[in-house]
Amino acid sequence: MKPLLWLLMALVFTGAGKAETLVTQLNRSDVEIAADFRGQMLTLFGTIEPGPGETLVPTGPYHVVVTVTGPLQTRLARRKTNQFGIWINTDEARFESLPSFYQVLSDGKLEDIVSPAVAAEKGFALSAQLHQRAGGRSDVDYSGNLIRLMSDKGLYRADPAGVQFRSDLLFFAGLDLPSDAPPGSYIVKTYLLKDRALIAEHADGFSVRKIGFERFLGQAARQQPWLYGLAAVLLALGTGWLGGVVFRR
Amino acid sequence: MQIYLPIAELSMNLFFLVGMGGAVGFLSGLFGVGGGFLLTPLLIFSGVPASVAVASVTGQVVAASTSGALSYYRRGQIDLHLASYLISASVFGAFFGVWAFQALRASGQLDLVISVGFLVLLGSVGSLMLTESLGAILRRRAGTLAPGHLPNQHNWFHGLPFRTRFKKSKLYISVLPVLALGLGIGFVGSLLGIGGGFILVPALVYLLRVPGNMVIGTSLVQVVAMMAATTVLHAVSSQSVDILLAFCLMVGGTVGAQFGASAGKYLRGEQLRALLALLVLAVAIRFGLTLVLTPNDVFSTAVVAAGGVI
Repeated sequence: MKPLLWLLMALVFTGAGKAETLVTQLNRSDVEIAADFRGQMLTLFGTIEPGPGETLVPTGPYHVVVTVTGPLQTRLARRKTNQFGIWINTDEARFESLPSFYQVLSDGKLEDIVSPAVAAEKGFALSAQLHQRAGGRSDVDYSGNLIRLMSDKGLYRADPAGVQFRSDLLFFAGLDLPSDAPPGSYIVKTYLLKDRALIAEHADGFSVRKIGFERFLGQAARQQPWLYGLAAVLLALGTGWLGGVVFRR
Repeated sequence: MQIYLPIAELSMNLFFLVGMGGAVGFLSGLFGVGGGFLLTPLLIFSGVPASVAVASVTGQVVAASTSGALSYYRRGQIDLHLASYLISASVFGAFFGVWAFQALRASGQLDLVISVGFLVLLGSVGSLMLTESLGAILRRRAGTLAPGHLPNQHNWFHGLPFRTRFKKSKLYISVLPVLALGLGIGFVGSLLGIGGGFILVPALVYLLRVPGNMVIGTSLVQVVAMMAATTVLHAVSSQSVDILLAFCLMVGGTVGAQFGASAGKYLRGEQLRALLALLVLAVAIRFGLTLVLTPNDVFSTAVVAAGGVI
Protein backbone atom coordinates (compact mmCIF):
# COMPACT_ATOMS: atom_id res chain seq x y z
CA MET A 1 0.00 0.00 0.00
CA LYS A 2 2.74 2.39 0.95
CA PRO A 3 4.36 2.83 -2.50
CA LEU A 4 0.96 3.55 -4.02
CA LEU A 5 0.33 6.22 -1.40
CA TRP A 6 3.66 7.86 -2.20
CA LEU A 7 2.87 7.80 -5.88
CA LEU A 8 -0.52 9.38 -5.25
CA MET A 9 1.00 12.07 -3.08
CA ALA A 10 3.69 12.73 -5.67
CA LEU A 11 1.06 13.15 -8.38
CA VAL A 12 -0.93 15.54 -6.23
CA PHE A 13 2.07 17.70 -5.42
CA THR A 14 3.52 17.86 -8.94
CA GLY A 15 0.04 18.46 -10.25
CA ALA A 16 -0.35 21.35 -7.87
CA GLY A 17 2.67 23.00 -9.46
CA LYS A 18 1.16 22.63 -12.95
CA ALA A 19 -2.06 24.53 -12.52
CA GLU A 20 -1.38 26.47 -15.71
CA THR A 21 -0.40 25.55 -19.23
CA LEU A 22 1.15 28.12 -21.52
CA VAL A 23 0.01 28.01 -25.15
CA THR A 24 1.76 30.27 -27.65
CA GLN A 25 1.74 30.73 -31.40
CA LEU A 26 3.88 32.88 -33.69
CA ASN A 27 2.06 34.36 -36.67
CA ARG A 28 4.76 33.03 -38.99
CA SER A 29 7.60 30.53 -38.90
CA ASP A 30 9.56 31.91 -41.86
CA VAL A 31 10.78 35.41 -42.54
CA GLU A 32 11.80 35.66 -46.17
CA ILE A 33 14.29 38.25 -47.36
CA ALA A 34 13.62 39.40 -50.91
CA ALA A 35 14.70 42.58 -52.70
CA ASP A 36 11.99 44.63 -51.01
CA PHE A 37 12.77 43.40 -47.46
CA ARG A 38 12.52 46.30 -45.03
CA GLY A 39 12.38 44.38 -41.78
CA GLN A 40 9.45 42.40 -40.47
CA MET A 41 7.01 42.61 -37.61
CA LEU A 42 6.12 39.24 -36.06
CA THR A 43 3.40 38.73 -33.49
CA LEU A 44 3.42 36.11 -30.75
CA PHE A 45 -0.01 35.23 -29.33
CA GLY A 46 -0.36 33.38 -26.09
CA THR A 47 -3.02 32.18 -23.65
CA ILE A 48 -2.86 30.74 -20.19
CA GLU A 49 -4.96 27.60 -19.86
CA PRO A 50 -5.68 25.15 -17.04
CA GLY A 51 -3.01 22.49 -16.59
CA PRO A 52 -3.67 18.86 -17.53
CA GLY A 53 -6.46 17.46 -15.34
CA GLU A 54 -7.23 20.89 -13.92
CA THR A 55 -10.74 22.23 -14.16
CA LEU A 56 -10.33 25.53 -12.34
CA VAL A 57 -9.79 28.60 -14.46
CA PRO A 58 -6.29 29.94 -13.77
CA THR A 59 -6.26 33.10 -11.73
CA GLY A 60 -3.55 35.68 -11.91
CA PRO A 61 -2.25 38.20 -11.91
CA TYR A 62 0.21 36.77 -14.40
CA HIS A 63 3.22 38.34 -16.03
CA VAL A 64 4.98 37.31 -19.23
CA VAL A 65 8.55 37.71 -20.43
CA VAL A 66 9.41 36.92 -24.06
CA THR A 67 13.01 36.61 -25.27
CA VAL A 68 14.01 36.49 -28.94
CA THR A 69 17.51 35.19 -29.63
CA GLY A 70 19.13 35.27 -33.07
CA PRO A 71 21.96 33.10 -34.39
CA LEU A 72 25.10 33.15 -32.22
CA GLN A 73 28.28 34.83 -33.40
CA THR A 74 31.68 36.00 -32.20
CA ARG A 75 32.20 39.74 -31.89
CA LEU A 76 35.04 42.05 -31.03
CA ALA A 77 34.56 45.22 -29.02
CA ARG A 78 37.35 47.65 -29.85
CA ARG A 79 38.39 50.80 -28.08
CA LYS A 80 40.23 53.79 -29.50
CA THR A 81 42.67 55.78 -27.43
CA ASN A 82 44.67 58.87 -28.24
CA GLN A 83 48.27 57.98 -29.04
CA PHE A 84 50.56 60.90 -29.91
CA GLY A 85 47.58 62.99 -31.01
CA ILE A 86 45.99 60.32 -33.20
CA TRP A 87 43.01 58.15 -32.30
CA ILE A 88 43.90 54.49 -32.78
CA ASN A 89 42.18 51.20 -31.92
CA THR A 90 44.45 50.06 -29.12
CA ASP A 91 42.65 47.30 -27.29
CA GLU A 92 39.83 44.86 -27.88
CA ALA A 93 37.82 42.21 -26.08
CA ARG A 94 36.43 39.12 -27.78
CA PHE A 95 32.94 37.83 -27.00
CA GLU A 96 32.16 34.24 -28.01
CA SER A 97 28.66 32.74 -28.49
CA LEU A 98 26.98 36.09 -28.41
CA PRO A 99 23.50 36.42 -29.93
CA SER A 100 23.56 38.49 -33.11
CA PHE A 101 20.05 39.60 -32.16
CA TYR A 102 18.39 39.73 -28.76
CA GLN A 103 15.14 41.24 -27.55
CA VAL A 104 13.58 40.85 -24.15
CA LEU A 105 9.94 41.91 -24.06
CA SER A 106 7.78 41.96 -20.94
CA ASP A 107 4.57 43.44 -19.62
CA GLY A 108 6.33 45.44 -16.95
CA LYS A 109 9.76 46.31 -15.65
CA LEU A 110 11.75 43.11 -15.20
CA GLU A 111 12.69 43.97 -11.62
CA ASP A 112 8.99 44.35 -10.74
CA ILE A 113 7.74 41.09 -12.24
CA VAL A 114 10.63 38.62 -11.93
CA SER A 115 12.61 37.60 -8.89
CA PRO A 116 16.34 38.33 -9.28
CA ALA A 117 17.11 34.59 -8.99
CA VAL A 118 14.86 33.65 -11.93
CA ALA A 119 16.10 36.58 -14.02
CA ALA A 120 19.67 35.51 -13.40
CA GLU A 121 19.00 31.84 -14.08
CA LYS A 122 17.24 32.50 -17.37
CA GLY A 123 19.64 35.28 -18.35
CA PHE A 124 17.00 37.89 -19.21
CA ALA A 125 19.24 40.94 -18.97
CA LEU A 126 21.03 42.25 -22.06
CA SER A 127 24.28 42.01 -20.11
CA ALA A 128 23.68 38.29 -19.50
CA GLN A 129 24.17 37.65 -23.24
CA LEU A 130 27.82 38.70 -23.07
CA HIS A 131 29.08 36.06 -20.71
CA GLN A 132 32.08 34.70 -22.62
CA ARG A 133 34.59 37.51 -22.67
CA ALA A 134 38.26 37.07 -23.50
CA GLY A 135 41.06 39.60 -23.64
CA GLY A 136 40.95 43.34 -23.19
CA ARG A 137 41.90 45.51 -20.25
CA SER A 138 40.33 44.82 -16.89
CA ASP A 139 39.52 48.49 -16.24
CA VAL A 140 37.43 48.99 -19.40
CA ASP A 141 33.70 48.22 -19.62
CA TYR A 142 33.60 46.47 -23.02
CA SER A 143 30.33 44.65 -22.28
CA GLY A 144 28.34 47.76 -21.46
CA ASN A 145 29.61 49.57 -24.52
CA LEU A 146 28.99 46.59 -26.81
CA ILE A 147 25.40 46.44 -25.54
CA ARG A 148 25.05 50.14 -26.29
CA LEU A 149 26.44 49.68 -29.83
CA MET A 150 24.15 46.70 -30.49
CA SER A 151 21.17 48.66 -29.13
CA ASP A 152 22.02 51.59 -31.42
CA LYS A 153 21.96 49.19 -34.39
CA GLY A 154 18.50 47.99 -33.31
CA LEU A 155 19.83 44.47 -32.70
CA TYR A 156 19.47 44.47 -28.91
CA ARG A 157 16.38 45.76 -27.17
CA ALA A 158 14.72 45.53 -23.81
CA ASP A 159 11.08 46.64 -23.94
CA PRO A 160 9.13 46.57 -20.65
CA ALA A 161 5.95 47.36 -22.64
CA GLY A 162 6.56 44.78 -25.36
CA VAL A 163 4.01 42.28 -24.04
CA GLN A 164 0.38 43.35 -23.75
CA PHE A 165 -2.45 41.51 -22.04
CA ARG A 166 -5.79 41.64 -23.89
CA SER A 167 -7.55 39.95 -20.97
CA ASP A 168 -6.36 38.30 -17.77
CA LEU A 169 -5.31 35.20 -19.72
CA LEU A 170 -4.67 36.34 -23.31
CA PHE A 171 -1.56 38.25 -24.32
CA PHE A 172 0.46 39.14 -27.39
CA ALA A 173 3.95 40.46 -28.13
CA GLY A 174 5.24 42.31 -31.19
CA LEU A 175 8.68 41.19 -32.36
CA ASP A 176 10.29 43.85 -34.51
CA LEU A 177 13.01 42.58 -36.87
CA PRO A 178 15.09 45.34 -38.50
CA SER A 179 16.19 45.04 -42.13
CA ASP A 180 19.74 44.15 -41.09
CA ALA A 181 18.62 41.28 -38.84
CA PRO A 182 21.12 38.50 -39.52
CA PRO A 183 19.72 35.50 -41.45
CA GLY A 184 19.51 32.25 -39.46
CA SER A 185 17.45 30.48 -36.80
CA TYR A 186 15.74 32.50 -34.11
CA ILE A 187 14.43 31.12 -30.83
CA VAL A 188 11.47 32.75 -29.08
CA LYS A 189 11.04 31.78 -25.45
CA THR A 190 7.96 32.72 -23.46
CA TYR A 191 8.06 32.66 -19.67
CA LEU A 192 4.93 32.78 -17.51
CA LEU A 193 5.40 34.31 -14.09
CA LYS A 194 3.19 34.56 -11.04
CA ASP A 195 4.25 36.26 -7.82
CA ARG A 196 7.69 36.82 -9.41
CA ALA A 197 8.21 33.06 -9.73
CA LEU A 198 8.47 31.08 -12.97
CA ILE A 199 5.52 28.73 -13.42
CA ALA A 200 5.65 27.75 -17.08
CA GLU A 201 7.73 28.30 -20.19
CA HIS A 202 7.39 27.54 -23.87
CA ALA A 203 9.73 27.81 -26.86
CA ASP A 204 8.89 28.71 -30.44
CA GLY A 205 11.19 29.39 -33.35
CA PHE A 206 11.34 31.02 -36.73
CA SER A 207 13.95 31.30 -39.41
CA VAL A 208 15.14 34.32 -41.36
CA ARG A 209 16.43 33.44 -44.80
CA LYS A 210 17.09 35.01 -48.14
CA ILE A 211 14.93 33.78 -51.02
CA GLY A 212 15.02 34.07 -54.79
CA PHE A 213 17.64 36.34 -56.33
CA GLU A 214 18.98 37.52 -52.95
CA ARG A 215 19.55 33.91 -51.90
CA PHE A 216 21.16 33.10 -55.24
CA LEU A 217 23.58 36.04 -54.96
CA GLY A 218 24.48 35.30 -51.34
CA GLN A 219 25.20 31.65 -52.14
CA ALA A 220 27.13 32.46 -55.32
CA ALA A 221 29.36 34.90 -53.43
CA ARG A 222 30.22 32.20 -50.90
CA GLN A 223 30.35 29.06 -53.02
CA GLN A 224 31.59 30.32 -56.39
CA PRO A 225 33.64 33.42 -55.49
CA TRP A 226 35.70 33.31 -58.70
CA LEU A 227 32.63 33.16 -60.95
CA TYR A 228 30.89 35.74 -58.80
CA GLY A 229 33.85 38.12 -59.10
CA LEU A 230 34.07 37.60 -62.85
CA ALA A 231 30.33 38.20 -63.17
CA ALA A 232 30.72 41.47 -61.22
CA VAL A 233 33.51 42.57 -63.58
CA LEU A 234 31.52 41.63 -66.71
CA LEU A 235 28.52 43.51 -65.36
CA ALA A 236 30.72 46.56 -64.74
CA LEU A 237 32.30 46.40 -68.21
CA GLY A 238 28.88 45.93 -69.80
CA THR A 239 27.32 48.83 -67.90
CA GLY A 240 30.22 51.11 -68.74
CA TRP A 241 30.14 50.12 -72.41
CA LEU A 242 26.35 50.55 -72.62
CA GLY A 243 26.60 53.96 -70.97
CA GLY A 244 29.17 54.99 -73.55
CA VAL A 245 27.00 53.75 -76.44
CA VAL A 246 23.79 55.34 -75.17
CA PHE A 247 25.34 58.73 -74.56
CA ARG A 248 27.71 58.82 -77.55
CA ARG A 249 27.24 61.99 -79.47
CA MET B 1 12.06 52.73 -52.68
CA GLN B 2 14.10 50.39 -50.50
CA ILE B 3 16.31 47.66 -51.91
CA TYR B 4 17.83 44.83 -49.90
CA LEU B 5 21.57 44.39 -50.48
CA PRO B 6 22.29 40.67 -50.14
CA ILE B 7 25.99 40.87 -49.22
CA ALA B 8 25.87 44.00 -47.06
CA GLU B 9 22.76 42.37 -45.49
CA LEU B 10 20.89 45.59 -45.05
CA SER B 11 18.25 47.57 -46.87
CA MET B 12 18.96 50.96 -48.44
CA ASN B 13 17.10 53.48 -50.56
CA LEU B 14 17.56 52.75 -54.26
CA PHE B 15 17.34 56.41 -55.32
CA PHE B 16 19.84 57.44 -52.66
CA LEU B 17 22.37 54.92 -54.01
CA VAL B 18 21.80 55.79 -57.67
CA GLY B 19 21.86 59.51 -56.81
CA MET B 20 25.11 59.17 -54.89
CA GLY B 21 26.61 57.23 -57.80
CA GLY B 22 25.36 59.94 -60.16
CA ALA B 23 26.79 62.83 -58.15
CA VAL B 24 30.20 61.18 -57.85
CA GLY B 25 29.96 60.09 -61.50
CA PHE B 26 29.37 63.73 -62.51
CA LEU B 27 32.54 64.77 -60.70
CA SER B 28 34.49 61.84 -62.15
CA GLY B 29 33.35 62.71 -65.66
CA LEU B 30 34.20 66.36 -65.04
CA PHE B 31 37.70 65.69 -63.78
CA GLY B 32 38.46 62.41 -65.54
CA VAL B 33 39.02 60.44 -62.35
CA GLY B 34 37.31 57.24 -61.19
CA GLY B 35 35.68 58.76 -58.13
CA GLY B 36 36.49 55.87 -55.81
CA PHE B 37 38.17 58.22 -53.34
CA LEU B 38 34.80 60.01 -52.86
CA LEU B 39 32.44 57.06 -53.11
CA THR B 40 34.14 54.74 -50.60
CA PRO B 41 34.04 57.24 -47.72
CA LEU B 42 30.46 58.28 -48.61
CA LEU B 43 29.27 54.66 -48.46
CA ILE B 44 31.02 53.99 -45.17
CA PHE B 45 29.42 57.15 -43.81
CA SER B 46 25.98 55.87 -44.96
CA GLY B 47 26.33 52.73 -42.85
CA VAL B 48 27.67 50.22 -45.38
CA PRO B 49 30.34 48.02 -43.76
CA ALA B 50 33.82 49.27 -44.76
CA SER B 51 34.83 45.98 -46.39
CA VAL B 52 31.68 45.86 -48.55
CA ALA B 53 32.10 49.54 -49.46
CA VAL B 54 35.72 49.16 -50.63
CA ALA B 55 35.07 45.93 -52.55
CA SER B 56 31.87 47.13 -54.24
CA VAL B 57 33.27 50.54 -55.19
CA THR B 58 36.07 48.66 -56.92
CA GLY B 59 33.43 47.22 -59.27
CA GLN B 60 31.85 50.65 -59.77
CA VAL B 61 35.23 52.17 -60.73
CA VAL B 62 35.56 49.54 -63.49
CA ALA B 63 32.23 50.65 -64.96
CA ALA B 64 32.97 54.35 -64.57
CA SER B 65 36.31 54.03 -66.37
CA THR B 66 35.15 51.66 -69.14
CA SER B 67 33.14 54.11 -71.25
CA GLY B 68 35.96 56.67 -71.02
CA ALA B 69 38.58 54.11 -71.92
CA LEU B 70 36.54 52.95 -74.94
CA SER B 71 36.11 56.45 -76.31
CA TYR B 72 39.86 57.14 -75.97
CA TYR B 73 40.51 53.78 -77.65
CA ARG B 74 38.34 54.73 -80.62
CA ARG B 75 40.33 57.94 -80.95
CA GLY B 76 43.56 55.98 -80.80
CA GLN B 77 44.72 57.82 -77.69
CA ILE B 78 45.87 54.80 -75.71
CA ASP B 79 49.41 53.45 -75.57
CA LEU B 80 48.58 49.76 -75.09
CA HIS B 81 52.25 48.80 -74.98
CA LEU B 82 52.92 51.11 -72.04
CA ALA B 83 49.58 50.14 -70.44
CA SER B 84 50.41 46.42 -70.60
CA TYR B 85 53.53 47.00 -68.46
CA LEU B 86 51.56 49.12 -65.98
CA ILE B 87 48.70 46.60 -65.83
CA SER B 88 50.80 43.50 -65.21
CA ALA B 89 52.73 45.25 -62.43
CA SER B 90 49.58 46.70 -60.86
CA VAL B 91 47.72 43.37 -60.83
CA PHE B 92 50.74 41.97 -59.00
CA GLY B 93 50.59 44.89 -56.57
CA ALA B 94 46.85 44.34 -56.09
CA PHE B 95 47.54 40.83 -54.76
CA PHE B 96 49.56 42.36 -51.93
CA GLY B 97 47.04 45.14 -51.45
CA VAL B 98 44.11 42.74 -50.98
CA TRP B 99 46.23 40.57 -48.68
CA ALA B 100 47.19 43.61 -46.58
CA PHE B 101 43.52 44.67 -46.54
CA GLN B 102 42.54 41.33 -44.95
CA ALA B 103 45.40 41.38 -42.46
CA LEU B 104 44.65 44.96 -41.37
CA ARG B 105 40.94 44.24 -41.04
CA ALA B 106 41.65 41.30 -38.75
CA SER B 107 43.92 43.39 -36.53
CA GLY B 108 41.46 46.29 -36.33
CA GLN B 109 43.78 48.84 -37.94
CA LEU B 110 42.10 49.01 -41.39
CA ASP B 111 40.25 52.25 -40.64
CA LEU B 112 43.43 53.86 -39.37
CA VAL B 113 45.44 52.85 -42.44
CA ILE B 114 42.64 53.99 -44.77
CA SER B 115 42.47 57.36 -43.01
CA VAL B 116 46.25 57.87 -42.94
CA GLY B 117 46.53 56.61 -46.52
CA PHE B 118 43.91 59.01 -47.82
CA LEU B 119 45.33 61.88 -45.76
CA VAL B 120 48.91 61.45 -47.01
CA LEU B 121 48.00 60.56 -50.58
CA LEU B 122 45.22 63.05 -51.19
CA GLY B 123 46.92 65.74 -49.12
CA SER B 124 50.16 65.64 -51.07
CA VAL B 125 48.60 65.15 -54.52
CA GLY B 126 46.00 67.82 -53.78
CA SER B 127 48.54 70.41 -52.67
CA LEU B 128 50.81 69.73 -55.65
CA MET B 129 47.90 70.00 -58.06
CA LEU B 130 46.62 73.16 -56.42
CA THR B 131 49.95 74.99 -56.58
CA GLU B 132 50.54 73.86 -60.17
CA SER B 133 47.08 74.83 -61.40
CA LEU B 134 46.99 78.13 -59.51
CA GLY B 135 50.37 78.96 -61.01
CA ALA B 136 49.01 78.23 -64.49
CA ILE B 137 45.91 80.35 -63.84
CA LEU B 138 48.04 83.26 -62.60
CA ARG B 139 50.39 82.98 -65.57
CA ARG B 140 47.41 83.09 -67.92
CA ARG B 141 46.03 86.16 -66.09
CA ALA B 142 49.42 87.83 -66.39
CA GLY B 143 49.34 87.19 -70.12
CA THR B 144 52.37 84.95 -70.30
CA LEU B 145 51.51 81.76 -72.15
CA ALA B 146 51.93 78.49 -70.33
CA PRO B 147 54.44 76.16 -71.99
CA GLY B 148 52.68 73.96 -74.53
CA HIS B 149 54.62 70.89 -73.51
CA LEU B 150 56.99 70.12 -70.72
CA PRO B 151 60.70 70.75 -71.19
CA ASN B 152 62.31 67.53 -72.30
CA GLN B 153 64.80 67.32 -69.49
CA HIS B 154 66.18 63.99 -68.33
CA ASN B 155 65.44 62.46 -64.92
CA TRP B 156 67.83 60.25 -63.00
CA PHE B 157 65.91 57.14 -64.00
CA HIS B 158 66.58 57.70 -67.65
CA GLY B 159 69.92 56.05 -66.95
CA LEU B 160 68.28 52.82 -65.72
CA PRO B 161 68.65 49.56 -67.69
CA PHE B 162 65.95 47.60 -69.63
CA ARG B 163 65.09 50.51 -71.88
CA THR B 164 62.13 49.92 -74.13
CA ARG B 165 60.69 51.95 -76.97
CA PHE B 166 57.05 52.96 -76.51
CA LYS B 167 56.21 54.06 -80.04
CA LYS B 168 52.83 55.68 -79.45
CA SER B 169 54.12 57.76 -76.55
CA LYS B 170 57.33 58.53 -78.45
CA LEU B 171 59.31 57.41 -75.40
CA TYR B 172 62.49 55.37 -75.05
CA ILE B 173 62.71 54.73 -71.30
CA SER B 174 63.57 52.01 -68.82
CA VAL B 175 60.64 49.76 -67.87
CA LEU B 176 61.73 49.75 -64.21
CA PRO B 177 60.05 53.03 -63.19
CA VAL B 178 56.96 51.97 -65.18
CA LEU B 179 56.76 48.66 -63.32
CA ALA B 180 57.43 50.32 -59.94
CA LEU B 181 54.66 52.83 -60.63
CA GLY B 182 52.22 50.03 -61.55
CA LEU B 183 53.14 48.00 -58.50
CA GLY B 184 52.65 50.95 -56.15
CA ILE B 185 49.32 51.98 -57.70
CA GLY B 186 48.08 48.38 -57.58
CA PHE B 187 48.92 48.06 -53.89
CA VAL B 188 47.51 51.41 -52.80
CA GLY B 189 44.47 51.21 -55.09
CA SER B 190 43.30 47.80 -53.92
CA LEU B 191 43.98 48.68 -50.28
CA LEU B 192 42.06 51.97 -50.35
CA GLY B 193 39.40 51.04 -52.92
CA ILE B 194 40.44 53.72 -55.41
CA GLY B 195 41.47 53.49 -59.04
CA GLY B 196 44.44 55.74 -58.47
CA GLY B 197 43.88 57.79 -61.63
CA PHE B 198 44.67 60.98 -59.73
CA ILE B 199 48.11 59.59 -58.84
CA LEU B 200 48.77 57.89 -62.16
CA VAL B 201 47.95 60.87 -64.38
CA PRO B 202 50.45 63.26 -62.73
CA ALA B 203 53.02 60.46 -62.55
CA LEU B 204 52.68 59.76 -66.27
CA VAL B 205 52.87 63.46 -67.08
CA TYR B 206 55.67 64.62 -64.79
CA LEU B 207 57.75 61.48 -64.22
CA LEU B 208 57.52 59.47 -67.44
CA ARG B 209 56.83 62.48 -69.73
CA VAL B 210 54.03 60.69 -71.56
CA PRO B 211 52.52 63.07 -74.16
CA GLY B 212 49.30 64.76 -73.04
CA ASN B 213 47.03 63.11 -75.62
CA MET B 214 48.06 59.62 -74.43
CA VAL B 215 47.94 60.22 -70.66
CA ILE B 216 44.21 60.00 -69.85
CA GLY B 217 43.43 57.07 -72.16
CA THR B 218 46.39 55.00 -70.98
CA SER B 219 45.59 55.76 -67.36
CA LEU B 220 41.93 54.77 -67.86
CA VAL B 221 42.83 51.44 -69.46
CA GLN B 222 45.18 50.70 -66.60
CA VAL B 223 42.48 51.60 -64.03
CA VAL B 224 39.89 49.34 -65.75
CA ALA B 225 42.22 46.34 -65.86
CA MET B 226 43.61 46.80 -62.36
CA MET B 227 40.24 47.38 -60.70
CA ALA B 228 38.73 44.42 -62.59
CA ALA B 229 41.45 42.21 -61.14
CA THR B 230 40.97 43.76 -57.68
CA THR B 231 37.22 43.12 -57.83
CA VAL B 232 37.81 39.42 -58.45
CA LEU B 233 40.47 39.31 -55.72
CA HIS B 234 38.13 40.94 -53.20
CA ALA B 235 35.29 38.60 -54.24
CA VAL B 236 37.52 35.60 -53.61
CA SER B 237 39.35 36.71 -50.47
CA SER B 238 36.71 38.61 -48.48
CA GLN B 239 33.49 37.73 -50.38
CA SER B 240 32.32 41.26 -49.76
CA VAL B 241 31.54 42.48 -53.30
CA ASP B 242 27.85 43.37 -53.31
CA ILE B 243 26.78 43.15 -56.95
CA LEU B 244 23.46 44.90 -56.35
CA LEU B 245 25.12 47.78 -54.49
CA ALA B 246 27.80 48.07 -57.18
CA PHE B 247 25.17 47.97 -59.95
CA CYS B 248 23.13 50.81 -58.39
CA LEU B 249 26.30 52.91 -58.15
CA MET B 250 27.32 51.97 -61.72
CA VAL B 251 24.02 53.03 -63.25
CA GLY B 252 24.13 56.39 -61.48
CA GLY B 253 27.84 56.79 -62.11
CA THR B 254 27.72 56.04 -65.84
CA VAL B 255 24.90 58.53 -66.43
CA GLY B 256 26.46 61.16 -64.16
CA ALA B 257 29.84 60.81 -65.84
CA GLN B 258 28.36 61.74 -69.24
CA PHE B 259 26.94 64.99 -67.88
CA GLY B 260 30.18 65.68 -66.05
CA ALA B 261 32.19 65.17 -69.21
CA SER B 262 30.05 67.63 -71.18
CA ALA B 263 30.15 70.16 -68.31
CA GLY B 264 33.95 69.83 -68.35
CA LYS B 265 34.09 71.34 -71.84
CA TYR B 266 33.14 74.75 -70.44
CA LEU B 267 36.11 74.87 -68.09
CA ARG B 268 39.78 75.23 -68.95
CA GLY B 269 42.27 72.52 -67.98
CA GLU B 270 43.94 74.48 -65.18
CA GLN B 271 40.58 75.55 -63.74
CA LEU B 272 39.46 71.92 -63.70
CA ARG B 273 42.69 70.89 -62.04
CA ALA B 274 42.33 73.61 -59.40
CA LEU B 275 38.76 72.51 -58.60
CA LEU B 276 39.78 68.85 -58.43
CA ALA B 277 42.70 69.81 -56.18
CA LEU B 278 40.31 71.59 -53.80
CA LEU B 279 38.01 68.55 -53.74
CA VAL B 280 40.91 66.18 -53.12
CA LEU B 281 42.23 68.43 -50.34
CA ALA B 282 38.79 68.63 -48.74
CA VAL B 283 38.58 64.83 -48.56
CA ALA B 284 42.13 64.71 -47.18
CA ILE B 285 41.26 67.22 -44.46
CA ARG B 286 38.12 65.28 -43.61
CA PHE B 287 40.22 62.15 -43.06
CA GLY B 288 42.83 64.11 -41.13
CA LEU B 289 40.14 65.39 -38.77
CA THR B 290 38.83 61.89 -38.04
CA LEU B 291 42.32 60.97 -36.91
CA VAL B 292 42.85 63.96 -34.66
CA LEU B 293 39.42 64.93 -33.34
CA THR B 294 37.96 63.03 -30.41
CA PRO B 295 35.64 60.44 -32.01
CA ASN B 296 31.93 60.45 -31.14
CA ASP B 297 32.36 56.93 -29.92
CA VAL B 298 35.70 55.43 -28.93
CA PHE B 299 34.13 51.98 -29.02
CA SER B 300 33.37 50.00 -32.15
CA THR B 301 32.47 46.41 -32.87
CA ALA B 302 33.23 43.84 -35.58
CA VAL B 303 32.00 40.32 -36.28
CA VAL B 304 34.48 37.47 -36.42
CA ALA B 305 33.38 35.10 -39.20
CA ALA B 306 34.92 31.95 -40.59
CA GLY B 307 36.65 33.93 -43.33
CA GLY B 308 38.05 36.58 -40.98
CA VAL B 309 36.90 39.74 -39.27
CA ILE B 310 34.07 41.54 -41.07
